[in-house]
Amino acid sequence: MIKIPGVAAVVSALLLGAEACYAEKLTDNLEISGFARVIGGYLSHSSRRFDGYTNEVSLDEQSLLAVQPSYSFNDKLSVSSQFVAHTGDDRDSGLEWAYLSYQPSSAWHFRAGKLRTPFFIYSDGYDVGYSYPWVTAPVQVYNNYLFSNFNGASASYYHSGNSLALNLEAYYGYYEGDLFLAGSKVDVETEVEDLAGIVATISRNNLSLRMSYHQARNTTEIPNVSELRSQLYALGYNDSAKSLESSGNVYALQTSLSYDTLNSFYKAEWVNIVTGYEIAPEITGYYLMAGRVINDWTLHATYSRSEYSAVKMSNELPIPPTGNPQQDMLSTAYYQVFASTPNGNLDSYTLGTRWDFRMNMALKAEITLLEESRSRSGFFMSPANDSTENAYLYQVAWEWIF
Amino acid sequence: MRLILSSLLALTLLFAPGAFAAFASERIIIVTHSDNTGVRLSREQIRNLFMGASVGRDLQPVALPPGNRTRSLFNIKIVGLSDSRVQSYWAQMKFTGRRPPPQIVNSEKAMVQYLLDTPDSIGYLTADTDLPEDLIVIYATD
Repeated sequence: MIKIPGVAAVVSALLLGAEACYAEKLTDNLEISGFARVIGGYLSHSSRRFDGYTNEVSLDEQSLLAVQPSYSFNDKLSVSSQFVAHTGDDRDSGLEWAYLSYQPSSAWHFRAGKLRTPFFIYSDGYDVGYSYPWVTAPVQVYNNYLFSNFNGASASYYHSGNSLALNLEAYYGYYEGDLFLAGSKVDVETEVEDLAGIVATISRNNLSLRMSYHQARNTTEIPNVSELRSQLYALGYNDSAKSLESSGNVYALQTSLSYDTLNSFYKAEWVNIVTGYEIAPEITGYYLMAGRVINDWTLHATYSRSEYSAVKMSNELPIPPTGNPQQDMLSTAYYQVFASTPNGNLDSYTLGTRWDFRMNMALKAEITLLEESRSRSGFFMSPANDSTENAYLYQVAWEWIF
Repeated sequence: MRLILSSLLALTLLFAPGAFAAFASERIIIVTHSDNTGVRLSREQIRNLFMGASVGRDLQPVALPPGNRTRSLFNIKIVGLSDSRVQSYWAQMKFTGRRPPPQIVNSEKAMVQYLLDTPDSIGYLTADTDLPEDLIVIYATD
């Protein structure tokens, strides 16, 4: 992993020389554009960490700088790539995507290469803070079971009739790399094969309905858990061993409704992710948001929630103490795995503002009350603790596109 | 005095039912080359065309730059979104690689010339623009 120290400093340096320009055409064919965000945050909790934030002001969790070179061979064929330098520990810096793009007509668009995953509304544009009103898009939807890109191909079709417009996208590919669970990078390599999905958006005037379905075959090996599983199989505890399998199918379903007017906007998005294995539970996340636009200012309010289903652990292992220390160790290790798996709920209430002070820059401030209504939502680090946590997260951001 | 006036104006805008009412009286026309006589587009289709959709013919939308007053009028009356929200939309489309924004020309004068030179293009102007013979209006706002 490349760690870029002080991206904020680089960004500030760039800002000093920044014109209010939008994309730089170096030649007729080559265009360089990009975006940057500097985000400061503070969490009002004395002992927990949330999305990297603690009770010390930090600029290094979500700040980033992205550069996007793009070369057109002609009207229809081009290559594009995006390099992102992240300050946060969870995301790797480097090439985020690179693909060949073919647009045979204004309705069709084909892409092949390394692409962003279009799971939910803001999944593929999660890094582009300028494109949404929040500082942090609702974590209950956007920070769960995520990986940001895949290798493969996608086809999209966008056509407008007299009163209805239809946008369809289908993709297929594979992914190898880090896996995210409840906002944190799980320290394992994961392999995702036969990743496929379809996204349909129907819109009429400024009302838009997006529905998508995604599926994949996932193989994740967590070294400690794999070892425990082998031991359980060897000793004949097949039910227990089977409940620790971490490979199988994953399905995600998403629905969202957006309504925009000149002065206000409303959005609701719901996602449900189900896995074919016991140890990673089903998760449901959603948010409801409303906003008002007053000239260059936007005010918005959001409620969001995530719910994990209960994990199904086997009860064939005797509960310690049994008088047999080896047996006790095995049982303890098994129950420990399940005791640290997230299966709680997180509610959050966000109030925020955005000021578009220049055509390509915005300042944002927001405050979020985070409340676990059932313990171990997974978002407050230190998941083995059974207390329900709550805290305020204060954030400010500067967003720039160029 | 100027300060008082502008403060008053700011307050009026803040409490006006639509903060964009100041633009309400000006009309926008959608213009293309006379080669495209017979093309009929609804407001919805024009909106979607300028947001990156196909309308069944290969018409290339041409836009004025961010910050241009006619562009703001177009955004308000045809797209139904404020300038900054249209900017956000294009940032999302561009930086996710989904679709590129329309071709941009720098002024209304350049728009007229571009539409004359490029028969398969479509653009917008204010209703008081003197149009050359070879350009036609295919839609006008109220």
